[in-house]
Amino acid sequence: MQTLGLSSAAAAVGGAAQEARAAIAEAAGPTTLGPDPVAVRLTVNGLRQEITIDPATTLLEAIRGELGLTGCKEICDRGACGGCSVLVDGKLVVSCMMLAIDAEDRRIETVEGLATGDQLTALQEAFIRHDALQCGFCTPGLVVACTALLREHPKPTLEQIKRGISGNLCRCGTYTNIFNAVLDASGQPVPADPAPPWPANGGA
Amino acid sequence: MADADQINQPTANRSFNDAMVVDANASRLDGVAKVTGRARYARDVTVPGMLYVQGIRSPWGVGKLAAIDVPAAKAIPGVVDVVVERDTGEYDGDWIGHVVAESRLALRRAMRALAPRWERGEPKVGIDPGQVVLDAPDEGASAAYRRAAHIFEAEYSTPVQTHSALETHGLVVEHRGESAIVHASTQGTFAVAEEIARFIGLPRSRYEVRCEYVGGGFGAKFQIGREGSTAATVAAATKRSVHSFCTRREEHLDTGNRPSSHIKVKLGVARDGAILGGQIAVFGGTGVARGGGGASIPSRRYALGEVSAKTTNVRFNAGAPRAMRAPGHPQGAFAEELMLDEVAALAGVDPLELRLRLDTDESGARRAMYRAGAEMIGWSRRHANGAVPEEGGPIRTGLGVGSTSWGALRGPAQAEIVVHRDGAVELRSGAQDIGTGFRTVIGIAAADALGVPLESIDVRIGRSTLPEGPASGGSVTTPSVTPAVIAAAQDAKRQLLEVAAQRLGVAAARLTIVGGNLRDGERVALAWADLCRLLPTESVVGSGRFDGRGGTLFGEGHSHGVQFAEVEVDIETGVIGVRRVIAFQACGRILCRKTAESQVIGGVIQGLSYALFENRLLDRKTGAMVNPNLEAYKILGSVDMPVIEPILWSDATQTGARGLGEPPVIPTAGAVACAVLNAVGAPVRHLPMTPDKVLAAVDAAAAQPAGQPADGRPRREGGAA
Repeated sequence: MQTLGLSSAAAAVGGAAQEARAAIAEAAGPTTLGPDPVAVRLTVNGLRQEITIDPATTLLEAIRGELGLTGCKEICDRGACGGCSVLVDGKLVVSCMMLAIDAEDRRIETVEGLATGDQLTALQEAFIRHDALQCGFCTPGLVVACTALLREHPKPTLEQIKRGISGNLCRCGTYTNIFNAVLDASGQPVPADPAPPWPANGGA
Repeated sequence: MADADQINQPTANRSFNDAMVVDANASRLDGVAKVTGRARYARDVTVPGMLYVQGIRSPWGVGKLAAIDVPAAKAIPGVVDVVVERDTGEYDGDWIGHVVAESRLALRRAMRALAPRWERGEPKVGIDPGQVVLDAPDEGASAAYRRAAHIFEAEYSTPVQTHSALETHGLVVEHRGESAIVHASTQGTFAVAEEIARFIGLPRSRYEVRCEYVGGGFGAKFQIGREGSTAATVAAATKRSVHSFCTRREEHLDTGNRPSSHIKVKLGVARDGAILGGQIAVFGGTGVARGGGGASIPSRRYALGEVSAKTTNVRFNAGAPRAMRAPGHPQGAFAEELMLDEVAALAGVDPLELRLRLDTDESGARRAMYRAGAEMIGWSRRHANGAVPEEGGPIRTGLGVGSTSWGALRGPAQAEIVVHRDGAVELRSGAQDIGTGFRTVIGIAAADALGVPLESIDVRIGRSTLPEGPASGGSVTTPSVTPAVIAAAQDAKRQLLEVAAQRLGVAAARLTIVGGNLRDGERVALAWADLCRLLPTESVVGSGRFDGRGGTLFGEGHSHGVQFAEVEVDIETGVIGVRRVIAFQACGRILCRKTAESQVIGGVIQGLSYALFENRLLDRKTGAMVNPNLEAYKILGSVDMPVIEPILWSDATQTGARGLGEPPVIPTAGAVACAVLNAVGAPVRHLPMTPDKVLAAVDAAAAQPAGQPADGRPRREGGAA
């Protein structure tokens, strides 16, 4: 069983709709939802859909399980890795830490919604060009996080990039190339390959 | 069937150096799928009506199940079955039973309703430092000690590192009544197909294992585990689809790890720093496994005189190890590199100079890397260990270096290239890409050998019904499969040219395929589409096979490497900041430059993470892991990142492609440890090099006159579990 007051507190972001709901909840006392499933309207990548879910369902579970958008990943399931990053009303959110009912009527963007058809964003192109991915499991979350970063800082410094993606974990070790991809996508120079001080072919 | 014997020779129409990088610009073929979220991993597969499985596990190092409410769990709507197999657990995470439910929610509710009550026993949680002792020296060691000017003695330790692949272990059995598809997160498509046969209740001809995308493996995903075997068993019994994946917590506890080690060293050292010999005793943790512990020291990369080495496995109440990226090597290299720097300090020799003297690589590749790297990082400005900079302040800087080597391991592999009449080209290999770039690498090999652009090849991998390839372990996948791919391409090409020769009425020997066009001598005779249209059948199949011979772990063909690290250490906080790592890595012929460099960068990052942060901590009293998550089990993140410069070394003596999974992860922790010793003046001998241990080293250095060599006595830094 969940109350709106509690679930709002657990949500990772603030927002007008949520504040309004919290105010209503406060006035009327906590509204109890569940244990029966409830209907929720989710607007994901511009598409409004109504789903019926247990009120304890996280936004991540709803997006993956109910809407079938499996780009965002469940990796740590407690907000530590950024693998489930989505944008809610333009803000970066780890969707495992937000209840789906709290995302109702808000604008949700997932990695699937970034490209326009086959036309990738400049950032996605740069990720591929700079090989900023290996196994790829963290990649959707990182693409979303870097998208949010670039919207806030169109020409981020290396330090801003590092901080901007510090909530995202990559295990294969792609950070160097992600930094370069973000620099490149924002029209900034990328550190050149080191010029080796020895003859080609190792001097052999 | 083409013959692969000559495959690893450079092709005749290219100069040797050019052949070293086959494709310098190609990007990963699965890049688009991965950046758009379209790549579908096993974890992403859902099948309507599928069941969910989760394990019931012991929460303590030693546990006895006193009570568990199975009826309450079974009463939850949507719960299909609850099985409790036994009532004792040997470690935190030990599988004692499982729950089957119709939904994740029902599964979660059932797990809660079980409300197990456990009685806790007394666990053993690690290697007892008291048991880390040397035997009486043998004749060789005794002689070394007698002849020595210095006796060097030290003890090193390394923690348990968990693989922490981001996609947890598990699989989905998609049951179709008389057949099944197993969607597995694995680094061994064929290994899973073989292992699951015992559980799935279907003949091998009736199921297929698929793993088109894998969210990391690092050595832990060769086997299906209880999570996989139970899913298959349930699927066989119910003829329903089953989903079973470990939680993050289970992933830390029971899917393998790089085991811990304590390493005791005693060496006789000559006045000039030469190591005359001595003893090395490794005590390797194995958790509940009976073997698999240890550390690869001595590594054979350095001439250490007559050293007697002994490994003792130590069992205790914790999850068993599994192979992890160069098993045993980072542990051993950490101790060996730091030991060399301590010996150098003892004898008053520059540590790079000492390595150049002791290096055993007869090809000279590593010596060349040492020299080039010294120039790049500015080794000439390296100060004495612990030297205080004139400007004062709390920041100390240091330089360190370490080395690596990995043998050209290979195994048997097959591949097919299908050229269709409509011009489509399919490359088929059942082996898997766990993030290494394998898909792209074999595509490049095929494109190069067939004479067509990479974009025109549709690479199909990760299915047990495609031609067999090895599991991704030991850095074998690329060197094993590419010869088969090239042989398949040559076979397909020969068939195409024969058809063309017949139809055009010219000798096949005059024809070649370049850039996707059929050429008769220098003249373009037919475009690709027109060439393929000549085929008398819908397609031609080129088959290639590689027998796996021609490479052993310590045999011919090593991937040598050297890494330099520059650190800054804040002696007031004990925080180490790694500024820069230069990673030289030989790997034979480089098929894809971008993915090769990524492998090197990734290896360095995992090595840094091992050096500075990672540590599976068990509660001494309960045996429970206290950090089974991704916030308290710290992994290197973006803000901890140094500048990493991968340098792919063209080793002229090697022409074949070699794998890059293992070699770059080996030397990093050792190089960083040496740089920290250089910065603060005393060694941190226990990984991870957390601030408490760094501050203890700073104190130890302060207790001796500045610039004085480390004397090898045990310091006050804390021990690792």
